[in-house]
Amino acid sequence: MNQELQATTMTGKKLQVAAVARRRLRTTTVLTWLILIGVCLFNLLPFVFMLFTSLKTEKEAYTIPPTFWPENPTLDAYAQVIIWSDFPRYFLNSTIVSVGAAILSTLLGALAGYGFSRFNFRGRGSYLGLVLATQMLPGVLLVGPYFKMLVAVGLYNTYLGLILAFTTITLPFSVWMMKGFIDTVPEEMDQAALVDGCTPLGSFVRVVLPVIGPGMVATIVFAFLLAWGDLLWALVLTSGDENALVTLGLSRLVTQFRIIWPQLMAGSIIASIPCMVLYLALQDYLVKGLTAGAVKG
Amino acid sequence: MSRPIRLNTGFAFALPGLLLLLLVLGFPAVLAVANSFTPIWSEAKTFTLENYIKLQQDKQFWESLWVTIVFVAGTVSLHMVFGLVVALALNTEIKFPWLFRIIAIVPWTIPDVISGLVWRHMYDPTGGIINHFLDQIGLQNPYIEWLAAPDLALPSVIFADVWRGYPFVMLILLAGLQAIPRELYEAARVDGASKLQEFRNITLPSLSSMFQIAFALDVIWQFRRFGLVYNMTAGGPGNATDILPLAIYRQYFKYFNFEYASAMAVVLAVIMIVVSIPYVRMMVKRA
Repeated sequence: MNQELQATTMTGKKLQVAAVARRRLRTTTVLTWLILIGVCLFNLLPFVFMLFTSLKTEKEAYTIPPTFWPENPTLDAYAQVIIWSDFPRYFLNSTIVSVGAAILSTLLGALAGYGFSRFNFRGRGSYLGLVLATQMLPGVLLVGPYFKMLVAVGLYNTYLGLILAFTTITLPFSVWMMKGFIDTVPEEMDQAALVDGCTPLGSFVRVVLPVIGPGMVATIVFAFLLAWGDLLWALVLTSGDENALVTLGLSRLVTQFRIIWPQLMAGSIIASIPCMVLYLALQDYLVKGLTAGAVKG
Repeated sequence: MSRPIRLNTGFAFALPGLLLLLLVLGFPAVLAVANSFTPIWSEAKTFTLENYIKLQQDKQFWESLWVTIVFVAGTVSLHMVFGLVVALALNTEIKFPWLFRIIAIVPWTIPDVISGLVWRHMYDPTGGIINHFLDQIGLQNPYIEWLAAPDLALPSVIFADVWRGYPFVMLILLAGLQAIPRELYEAARVDGASKLQEFRNITLPSLSSMFQIAFALDVIWQFRRFGLVYNMTAGGPGNATDILPLAIYRQYFKYFNFEYASAMAVVLAVIMIVVSIPYVRMMVKRA
């Protein structure tokens, strides 16, 4: 009897707990959905506005009050940008320079990452710290002297000058990211290769590199995107249209007396698409690379 | 016997990268510091503290420094708050998680230069969508100069930067959230912990290392921010949004005061180094 009573109060209590939990769940669910809807509106509205403006005629972009939906959607602005401006040239320049910087810094980053990951040598910690600390040197500290250096050696307004400048941003990240990815490869793998008579470089190229392929791609892409989005170095190290980069070309459109918004937005969309695609495709690797070891530690 | 050889091998692997960094980063940095004390590109090469004394008396410099601090503090703290809230929302059981995740990240994927342009367009007093919406919801023709009014310009720029920057923090914190073992929560629920207690005693402590990394990277990036503000206001109106990188760039390449610009940049670098020492220490200890 007594036992039975106890059992019923137990179930009653359990039910109560469940009900409270459910109510709690419902408020959090509502809250979650409110946040998510807010995020969608906040994050996407600028993109929608950018897209709609790019589809407007120049005249419509200047009507007051402004329209939200384009009245007569047209691709004129895109045609203007692609066919009648230097934009394709900027796009090509940006591609060459960013790819160059990405490959150079990932290559050197992979080598250094292997050295830091597998070997203990004198000053290892200090060098690693120094590489990271270079990020604390703002670009504006370097632009002046770097500009003078490039002029002195005749590399001002050249692809190579820009590529080397971008490695100041990309190389430190590449070293740390590659080290993080190499850390995840079991050391026994390249030890075995060393025992079999491989040189350290040989075991690195034949054993480690194939395993970290995706991480390496992610590092290349991240470096590419860092370079692609930069404006400061492009402003300082190029002159005229010949070697101008996409970001610079777009910024120049603004500083003119009249801003042709449809063209500017069309150009912005074209310049953003490679970035959006690449970032979204590689977001997981990016997080792993930037936080290497943080989850475990 | 093999040990001394291994010591050198590691360094040999790191050497090409270190040398390149020395050439493109170390060398110009040293030149900048030297140039702030001695005009190395002019005839008279004498040591002087003149630039720093001038800095100390330069009202515009102090204004820029203040704007920089407000900009970094404002953007980073809002990135953290937004990032945490949205990461928590995305870490629940929702339908189409991949879709919401993409939407949540997408502002961060475009170059800051371009987000500056888009927001400049949105803030446009006559052609922009923000005043238009305010008009639609009943405020009759609010002709608000978001980027031209001295009091509004900096908050407007910060808001635009929050839009672009918080998804990064969110991404890092979400990865941290997903790494927390579910058993911890189940154990807490059995013990009768409330949601708030779970959050305080499990979620926040487990996130701390991710939080530190996101915070440190964000602080560094925000101190270096250039393109977004350059394209929105170029520092104006007056000095209202004149963050130090813009002011230094102007000193270098508009007024060609190379020595003075170097001194300003050195001050910025020193601030950044001091602020990020704990981060470098933490990362090296972990490595």
